[in-house]
Amino acid sequence: MMPMHFFFSDKVVLLFDFWNVHSPAGMVLSVLVILLMAMLYEAIKVGKVKLLQHTMQAIPTSLSSDRLDVSEGASVNSGPGQPEHSTPRRWFLYHVSQSLFHVVQVVIGYLVMLAVMSYNTWIFLGVIAGSTIGYFVAYPLLNVR
Amino acid sequence: MSHSHHMDHIEHKMNSSMVTTTESHEHHHPTTMPEHSHGGGMMMMEMTFHFGYKNVPLLFSGLIINTPGEMAGAFVAVFFLAMFYEGLKIARESLLRKSQVSIRYNSMPVPGPNGTILMETHKTVGQQMLSLPHLMQTVLHIIQVVISYFLMLIFMTYNAYLCIAVAAGAGTGYFFFSWKKAVVVDITEHCH
Repeated sequence: MMPMHFFFSDKVVLLFDFWNVHSPAGMVLSVLVILLMAMLYEAIKVGKVKLLQHTMQAIPTSLSSDRLDVSEGASVNSGPGQPEHSTPRRWFLYHVSQSLFHVVQVVIGYLVMLAVMSYNTWIFLGVIAGSTIGYFVAYPLLNVR
Repeated sequence: MSHSHHMDHIEHKMNSSMVTTTESHEHHHPTTMPEHSHGGGMMMMEMTFHFGYKNVPLLFSGLIINTPGEMAGAFVAVFFLAMFYEGLKIARESLLRKSQVSIRYNSMPVPGPNGTILMETHKTVGQQMLSLPHLMQTVLHIIQVVISYFLMLIFMTYNAYLCIAVAAGAGTGYFFFSWKKAVVVDITEHCH
């Protein structure tokens, strides 16, 4: 029967029926995997924003090289609605990759939720630690250009 | 109950024999044992991912999937629910941005002439709580929370088909609805 409260144990079945942990070593490994998953979740959130920033920067420069020889700053100020018409392929690629990122984010988010739902305290602590480390490491990268 | 349980067991063995070669029997005893002792009308919750379309409870007590056709219907319904969820999130965001833009335009010419009219801008911001856009946002927020919990509970069935439906719906919804959002973000970024 499913446990309904947190408990410490080195026995747990996580997500798939082949992910069956019944030893301290296996538990350490599982916690590490879950920790990495929680970190990856934070990294993907940041990655989506980074991708947006990256595309934002790339498009005005391609605009200026395509159309008129003005400096980058001037082309940024030029047309607000123009980029998505002038380089639709790039936008499409950006949008597809952003959507894929989103799917991965949703899936990992649910998987982490299900792992927490095992009510195993070690796994739970792994999720919290992974989320913390992921946030701590990934968010400063937002400001790096 | 015993019949369906038997079916479940067979399905499990088939499933796990594809993945793990030898230990499938050992693996399954701990998870299936409590089901025997329970016996009553309560449905056993699955604890790992599985493909199956028999005896899958879905959110409400009357909704139990038993045939492939019902599973296909549930797949489509969940897919659209997840899509709708993504659309709702993005719609809320753009709605919020729209109301903020109108407020900013209202307040922008005000501080120019003299200092007394500056009070008026504060008043308009304060009235935000009882305004129509905010009421709208609140109602949409309730809908969003309910749907997100539904999706979470659907994922919690561990049924692989339904989980795929949630993920695919989220992806498709994001793909179609955030197309416009990307452009909107672009405009605001440039206007800064």
